[in-house]
Amino acid sequence: MSNFFSLLYNELFKIYIRKSTWVMYIILGLIAVGGAIIISAFDDVQPTEYTDNWKEELQEENEALHKDNEEFGYSFNDDRIMKNEYLLENDIRPLNYGAWQYTLENVGLVAIVSLLTIIIGSSIISNEYKWGTIKLLLIRPISRNVILLSKFIAIFVFGLFTMIYLFLVSMLGGAIFFGFEGFNPSTVIMTANGIEYVPIVGEVMSEYGYRIVNLIMMTTLAFMISTIFKNSSVAIGVGIFLLMGGNIITGIFSQYEWSKYLLFANLDLKMYETGNILIDGMTLGFSITMLIVYFVVFVALAWLFFNKRDIVNQ
Amino acid sequence: MSNVALELTNVRKKIKNKEIIKDVNLAIRQGEVYGFIGPNGAGKTTTIRMIVGLMDLSDGEIKILGKSIEKDYKAAARNLGAIVENPEMYPFMTGRQNLRHFARMYDDVPKGRTEEVIGLVGLEKAIDEKVSKYSLGMRQRLGIAQAILHKPAVLILDEPTNGLDPAGIREIRDYIRRLAVEDNVAVMISSHLLSEIELMCDRIGIIKHGELITEQSVKEDSEEADQSEIKVVLDVKETEEAIKVLASLELKAEKEGSQLVSLMTRETIPQVVYKLVEAGLTVYGVTGVKQSLEDQFLELTGGNIIE
Repeated sequence: MSNFFSLLYNELFKIYIRKSTWVMYIILGLIAVGGAIIISAFDDVQPTEYTDNWKEELQEENEALHKDNEEFGYSFNDDRIMKNEYLLENDIRPLNYGAWQYTLENVGLVAIVSLLTIIIGSSIISNEYKWGTIKLLLIRPISRNVILLSKFIAIFVFGLFTMIYLFLVSMLGGAIFFGFEGFNPSTVIMTANGIEYVPIVGEVMSEYGYRIVNLIMMTTLAFMISTIFKNSSVAIGVGIFLLMGGNIITGIFSQYEWSKYLLFANLDLKMYETGNILIDGMTLGFSITMLIVYFVVFVALAWLFFNKRDIVNQ
Repeated sequence: MSNVALELTNVRKKIKNKEIIKDVNLAIRQGEVYGFIGPNGAGKTTTIRMIVGLMDLSDGEIKILGKSIEKDYKAAARNLGAIVENPEMYPFMTGRQNLRHFARMYDDVPKGRTEEVIGLVGLEKAIDEKVSKYSLGMRQRLGIAQAILHKPAVLILDEPTNGLDPAGIREIRDYIRRLAVEDNVAVMISSHLLSEIELMCDRIGIIKHGELITEQSVKEDSEEADQSEIKVVLDVKETEEAIKVLASLELKAEKEGSQLVSLMTRETIPQVVYKLVEAGLTVYGVTGVKQSLEDQFLELTGGNIIE
């Protein structure tokens, strides 16, 4: 194993030397900063700047929100009203909008990080077949297991780097356009137990963290498919379809008891924190067990096919 | 005699019940260059894939310096360098980046070795260009460079002269001979064209339909050549009686027009002539027909037909 890090370095080198990877990073960066540009460019979506008169400002805001609700006949502002009331009751000055809150709102972009990681995961093996270099890779005094492992880990190192990149770009974009709230600001959020006043840093960590589960599972699935079929397009297609459509699939089958065994029903671990549990009887332990089972099956299939196959031409 | 570096024993390969390689046995000594010749589709590349561990053996054993490629893969692969089919490299990386990439896969290839190898194959000028811009000849050189990075005892080159011009072929030939002579490397070169590699080989094996049908030394006028049977054309007036004379020497002869054709070793020719003259026959001529390797190859393989 002494040269395992050399193998990992090789794999990452092959990912980051290619222009297509940098194009992906530029696009992700533009999207991550783009939101901030749009918000700051249009007046009516600009977040409120609270002054020393914040109590009056909050009350005014709530009145306006109530009015909106009545106008539209739908209470879509309730969360915000409750948060404002909580602030007033507990005498907490609201936090002005800034980099941390912008980063928290950008958590949806983790889906793009997942997408990029799926693309890398789907092509890391099949590209070697496409380039013909698989032959040069598998005649070295290194077992196929170790080569496969180095590639598998390289995918997630890429995912981690990309995640950190998304976080940094979001923070930077947020700080430039809205300012920086400080190193450890707190804010009010909705939880299963009602409204709570918590540090944003922890909130950012947990929001991003929960979505890593989905990233890992979908990437492992795509990696398995591409290892079996030696074809990245099938794997990318299936991976993206399931990444986007997983919730719909769960929705269709959620009336049946067995649907809790579906991979997609167990991807969102946040439901145990918020209390919106998909199917009665599911627990955190159950979901984690299911995820581990799926993960092991995916990895075992990939390993089996990669190890047993004769390497011939496409 | 030097040690056997690469040994194939009763090697068979079945794919979907079809036997592609049928009981191949061969041994290559250290410092020997072995030409592995056969028409396209005869099983050359399949055999090579088994030697380098890209394919499983259905039966038999392959050993590199005594280590089995199946049971002791790491030790066997450490002593093996190869190009399998086309020398494909990462097209988006430079030649140097490619070599460093493969060098990192060994524990014991020092950094200076990459530069040394670049010099050996004469790629100094193009080494920092992307491989996608390389010509086929440059890719072949880079392919050889990656195969010898770790100073293997056995070097397998699949069609190394493919796409090279005559000057390029001569360069590779000189280089392979040097590896065999100076570094005692056992080299196996496959090709479907005998003429291209005949000059660099010590010995040649011909494979057809998955069988190794013949093996022979390339060096002429050796003792071996005296022992092997050659075709002799006898121009004798009294053909019927001549057949009888030959029969008394336990030689078979066939009539071809007004001449006789027989198979015999070089050593027996003087005896045959003496006997014919002694029997009072009119002998116009005795001609030994030397078959070139090329003729034999074509005769054995039936030309270059993909089957």
